[in-house]
Amino acid sequence: MAELFGNLIDGLTFVTGIIPILTITLGVIMGIIAGATPGLSPSMGVALLVPFTYAMSPTLALILLVAIYIAANYGGSITAVTINAPGTPSSVVTAFDGYPLTKKGKPGLALGVSLVASTVGGIIGTLILIFFSGPLAKFALKFHPAEYFALAIFGLTTVASLGGKNWIKAFIAAMFGLLLNTVGIDPISGVSRFTFGFSFLYDGFALIPALIGLFALSEIFKQLEGGDFSTKAASAGNQEWPTTRTYWKLKNTIMRSSLMGTIIGIFPGAGATIAAFISYDVAKRVSKTPEEFGKGSLEGVAAAEGANSSSVGGALIPLLTLGIPGSASTAVLIGALMIHDLTPGPQLFLSNPDIIYGLLASLLIANIILLVLGFFGARLWIKVTTIPKTVLFPLIFAVSIIGSFAVRNSFFDVAACLVFGVFGWLLRRYNYSVAPIILGMVLGNIAETNFIRAIMMGGWTVFFTRPLSLGMLVVAAASFAVPLIQARKQRQ
Amino acid sequence: MLSVYREITAKHSFAKRAFVLIILAMLIVPGQLRAEFPDKPIKIVVYTGPGGLIDISARKFAGIASKYVDVNFVVENKPGAGGIVALKKVIQSPADGYNLYACTKSNIAKFVQVGGSDYINALSWIAMLMADPECVITNGTQDLYKWSDIVANALQQPGEQNWVGPAAGGLDHVTALKIWDAYGMDAKWIPFKSGGKALAALLGEQGVAYVGNPRDALGNADLHIAAVSSTHRLPAFPDVPTFTELGMIGLENEYMWRGFALKKGTPAAVVQWYDDLFKKVTADPDWISFWSKGGIDIKYVAEKEFTALVHEDAKVFEYYLRKSNILQDEAVGILANIATGNSFTILSLILVMIWLSASYGVYKSTYAPIFGRVMVIGFFLVVCILFLVQSLNFPSSSDVGPAAVPRLWIFMLIPLNLLLLFKTFRNVAEVSDSGPRVDIVLNFIGFLLVYLLLMQVLGYFLSTFGFILVSLYYLGYRKWRNSLIIAFGWILFSYLIFYKTLYVALPLGSLFEGLF
Repeated sequence: MAELFGNLIDGLTFVTGIIPILTITLGVIMGIIAGATPGLSPSMGVALLVPFTYAMSPTLALILLVAIYIAANYGGSITAVTINAPGTPSSVVTAFDGYPLTKKGKPGLALGVSLVASTVGGIIGTLILIFFSGPLAKFALKFHPAEYFALAIFGLTTVASLGGKNWIKAFIAAMFGLLLNTVGIDPISGVSRFTFGFSFLYDGFALIPALIGLFALSEIFKQLEGGDFSTKAASAGNQEWPTTRTYWKLKNTIMRSSLMGTIIGIFPGAGATIAAFISYDVAKRVSKTPEEFGKGSLEGVAAAEGANSSSVGGALIPLLTLGIPGSASTAVLIGALMIHDLTPGPQLFLSNPDIIYGLLASLLIANIILLVLGFFGARLWIKVTTIPKTVLFPLIFAVSIIGSFAVRNSFFDVAACLVFGVFGWLLRRYNYSVAPIILGMVLGNIAETNFIRAIMMGGWTVFFTRPLSLGMLVVAAASFAVPLIQARKQRQ
Repeated sequence: MLSVYREITAKHSFAKRAFVLIILAMLIVPGQLRAEFPDKPIKIVVYTGPGGLIDISARKFAGIASKYVDVNFVVENKPGAGGIVALKKVIQSPADGYNLYACTKSNIAKFVQVGGSDYINALSWIAMLMADPECVITNGTQDLYKWSDIVANALQQPGEQNWVGPAAGGLDHVTALKIWDAYGMDAKWIPFKSGGKALAALLGEQGVAYVGNPRDALGNADLHIAAVSSTHRLPAFPDVPTFTELGMIGLENEYMWRGFALKKGTPAAVVQWYDDLFKKVTADPDWISFWSKGGIDIKYVAEKEFTALVHEDAKVFEYYLRKSNILQDEAVGILANIATGNSFTILSLILVMIWLSASYGVYKSTYAPIFGRVMVIGFFLVVCILFLVQSLNFPSSSDVGPAAVPRLWIFMLIPLNLLLLFKTFRNVAEVSDSGPRVDIVLNFIGFLLVYLLLMQVLGYFLSTFGFILVSLYYLGYRKWRNSLIIAFGWILFSYLIFYKTLYVALPLGSLFEGLF
């Protein structure tokens, strides 16, 4: 323990130098931009900057990339709150309550809470990473495909409470997302499914164009249909910001969602999106005012952001302790380490402790810098809500088109984004919620591949003979049934 | 030339004239290009996103090659479908040598799976630049980690061992199949989304062995390289025995290669130009030191030998993909026939007709208020039925087949939609969340379609400029000076950030493509 603190203090001393601080600040700014731009995911933000780090020292390069990663995860919430265009899949959940707050003329509350929940979540995730990474990584390795499947099913059951009164529609949307996810070459058997002979369908539908279409485009279509776009939005002058008391009231939600986010983030492939959905669902269940969720609940914003930001710490656990990427972004980090002749894994702690502890210290500092920059930045992004809609809408269209094109340099994705936009608009007209489609698309692959893998490895009974898997499935079944029973009782 | 044009076009319509003009242009333009190669930037088309090993190779190559020749190399990422998307980009461009395809052995596996020999024959395989031997990695903390023990165990319990690795049908999977064949053993291949996740499963004791690159085992002392497929021990891993040393002949040449290809039909002089360049780059000290640090063999193989190698690889892939049921002959039977070709198109048309006429029926009836909702439910049902019919055509397998999970979702969607349909008819009064100005939405959808079409011709920058101006005007924003500033600002932003910094290959449009 003493050695750990010594190393950590060495790391902190290094990171608080002028150049590292400037590097982190630069990374945080770039990350916020990448996260806030629909179409640039955290992993892309990191990947695109790898070439720029060739010439840097390995520690500085890592610090820069990790700062981008952290800030991009937060950046996604800015556009989710201000224009209902989640910049990253995990900030879909932030939009549930963040955007209604903006519509009520209180974007300041949502932006403030999302920033603080993000940074507190990020710091909690980092602390867990520093002190408990060893045992947690061992636990994560024991996770069998059966348990991944159970986790995915657990994630899906959040639809029951998300949907509320319209639970049938929410399930249809989720199932449709799952079905869309099966388009493309089956990762297990290598057979092409539902591609109708089109090569652009071999990889299936990319998530980002669907996300942009279903959220950003459908929102503009909806507002255009409303016809009130010529009115100017409220001015930012007398904006309401959260007070210390507001934050204090949210302490339990933030703590709980940060813990859940870190734990779920550990499992390679599960990541930020599932963490955000499950944490939101739990927050709604334990809340004293569950009816506020979806209409502008600050608890909802805090739960989503706390979870998706703390998952960064979780995702780094298998990377640092085992050399295995926990998410797309950490996979890119491995590539970056290798370019610098470093091999991630337990050996790195022994051979280059300066790099590891520099990295851990920089995670803490990056979150603090994010808090400071975000605090002043929020005054800036809130201006987005004051741009007249006549100007904002064409620009959102332009961002959507270039964002969906940027994912794979493909026109098909742009067309898909447009189709998803129209489809999302029609669905929302008839009271379907579009978020379950995204959840289905995120979970589909995890659910299916692990379902089949589990059966290949242990036969059909494996889901019920492994205690952890059985336990999770039971909890999933309960969390599915309870809201439906409650809804039925309320009607009677 | 001009007189010929006048003569041909004198009595013909505008369309025919345009056609002749295009033909004439095609005759003239390549002639000019052939003059001296290269006279414009060369695109290196990479089939993955930025950051992967092949992308790094392409960028490193671009950097070193520009030391020797005065030409600008631009790396263009065209990820998708295991290389098919990038391949199409190359074979749809002229065979003038300006689109260099950065290829790996994994592409061959994908090409064999999807396009047979057509895709392989569409390219000239001009150079292999490096080779990376494959190896078997095991978990040192498990009882079974020595190669001899694994083989003995597999022979005792055929088909019981779980081997983990990336996607089925890829290079690592086929290497495993070859190893099993050589030893006469049998095991199960459990595919994971990436090599890293498969390694996690190996460390979590969910499998016995992993097939991949020796570098994957670095950094974690628990991982043990059991054997490597190479003619000699690797300098970076002096303790790892080769298969030959372990007594198996025929497994000394399983490696991942990376190289370059051009569209078939590229002039010989251009290929010669590249040959000279590859020789210089391969001998470059920077190039050598960069790759040897990572334990990658630099191995330059020129066109003739490389082409033979590619065809040999293709044959091997085809054999093993067929053997493991990934490549199958078309399914037969009445049901499978419905799922393919014309009968499927007819079925789709019939379903769409039923959907539209039923919706129209609702629209005309007393249920008119729920017309939209019924249409959405109908859409879901049509998609379900079409997907269900398609799934009849999927090959079956001994475990859970590729049709199982999609059918599971379909069988949940259909009853849910029927239940909703029933509820919708019972609750006609439910209000939709709609507004008065559907016309604005439809107009905007129209704008966007026109904008996307124009982007193909005029390129991203011009068409976006126009789109922003038109939509600002349409929404009632009439400050022209500001409109121009907004549109121009966006163009500048997208050019600097997306095009220049993030390497997003924004289309320049067919009109201007030749100019750049």
